[in-house]
Amino acid sequence: MRLNVAVTGLHAADNPAPGIGVIRCLHHPEKWEGRIIGLAYDALDTGIYDEGLLDHAYLIPYPNSGSQALLDRLLYIHEQQHIDVIIPTLDSELPVFQKLEQVLRDNGIATFIPPKPVTDLISKANLAELCEAENIPFPETKVIKDPGEVTEAVEEIGFPLMIKGIYYEAYTCNNHSDVQQYFEKLRLKWGLPIILQKKIESEEFDVCCVCDENSDLLGAVPIRKTRLTDKGKAWAAVTLKNKQLLELSARILKQIGWTGPCEVEILKNTRTGDYNLIEINPRFPAWIYLCTGADQNLPRLVVELALGEKPVPLEPAKSGICFVRHAIDLVCPLDYIENLTTLGELHFSEGEEQQDKG
Amino acid sequence: MSEIFSSELTMSKNGFLFDHGSGLTYTLNATGQFIFHLLESGKKSTHILEKLITEFDVTEDTARKDLDDFYRQLKELGLIEQ
Repeated sequence: MRLNVAVTGLHAADNPAPGIGVIRCLHHPEKWEGRIIGLAYDALDTGIYDEGLLDHAYLIPYPNSGSQALLDRLLYIHEQQHIDVIIPTLDSELPVFQKLEQVLRDNGIATFIPPKPVTDLISKANLAELCEAENIPFPETKVIKDPGEVTEAVEEIGFPLMIKGIYYEAYTCNNHSDVQQYFEKLRLKWGLPIILQKKIESEEFDVCCVCDENSDLLGAVPIRKTRLTDKGKAWAAVTLKNKQLLELSARILKQIGWTGPCEVEILKNTRTGDYNLIEINPRFPAWIYLCTGADQNLPRLVVELALGEKPVPLEPAKSGICFVRHAIDLVCPLDYIENLTTLGELHFSEGEEQQDKG
Repeated sequence: MSEIFSSELTMSKNGFLFDHGSGLTYTLNATGQFIFHLLESGKKSTHILEKLITEFDVTEDTARKDLDDFYRQLKELGLIEQ
């Protein structure tokens, strides 16, 4: 069946969005039979210009423009291209897609994303509480809603500790002066609450997971990041065969009622060997293309789930498969950028109507 | 895989060892590769010691020291059970 899939998150620069990886997975092992529609926030989102990946690119409004603006734009694109499935890939746009999920479905556009109450539970501000309630191993954490709570929290946790912004950024603190400095920096940038967390000597692992509507794990690729950028993003990694990582991920996601894709971040305490959940990102990771090498095509699995199919769990991911991220320069005519800037769309293939006539 | 190891390990013909559980890699010298192959096939320490003496033409003391040293490193790296 020829299906048209729209994907967001096309900007793959120094902090790459997952969309390009997702699209490359859809084209694996052979080119996607239907059309791939790129949904970009800016005419210079890099992935638009990676020839052969997209059939069409459209600009969409930023999530802070509100759900109605996005809905209007998506329905316009739907009229042009008939979108069967949308795969949103950015944290920031998830709330608006959750809000639009039903109306999109009513218009014939399917998504397969986690429900809002569940993504609220795993927010940085709520995760420690959730883990305590569900008996999920998690480093000792204090969520600071008032600067007056800092001293007592630091005394309870002890040094070294991690201080984290509510959305991004984390720093190691070895003394009170570090705490004071980074607390102010994070408060000014991201506001409150701020998270203080016991720093444990550990190794970090990530597991990209996909759960069905019953929160059963259908596919999972565990990795170790082997090289990081200065922003802490993976530029090299290797897939693993690790029962504890898979069992812990499956248990957590089942307990909290997850559906759809996510990236589970887990620390292994190097002293005790215990595994601790550290974060759940409610989307595919930027390294998702690695899953094709491990014989688990998780984005294709999400398309099947979005369409209401009942896929069986995938065979365990193959271990010892690596990726290395490599930046290249893409060259294109100026009118590509002109089309996107002035018209908000760019077509590499014929549209739905022209193709039907042809 | 031999039960002595704490997770699945594979070694290439060049002595590049991969731990499938942790993703860590190690490079083994010729002696390390020789001992690893014997451990992998389930051989006991006494057998490995004899093989080291004949294969590398060394004294029992030297072979024992090399073998103990190899075990110590495997333990430190968490590759065999403590």
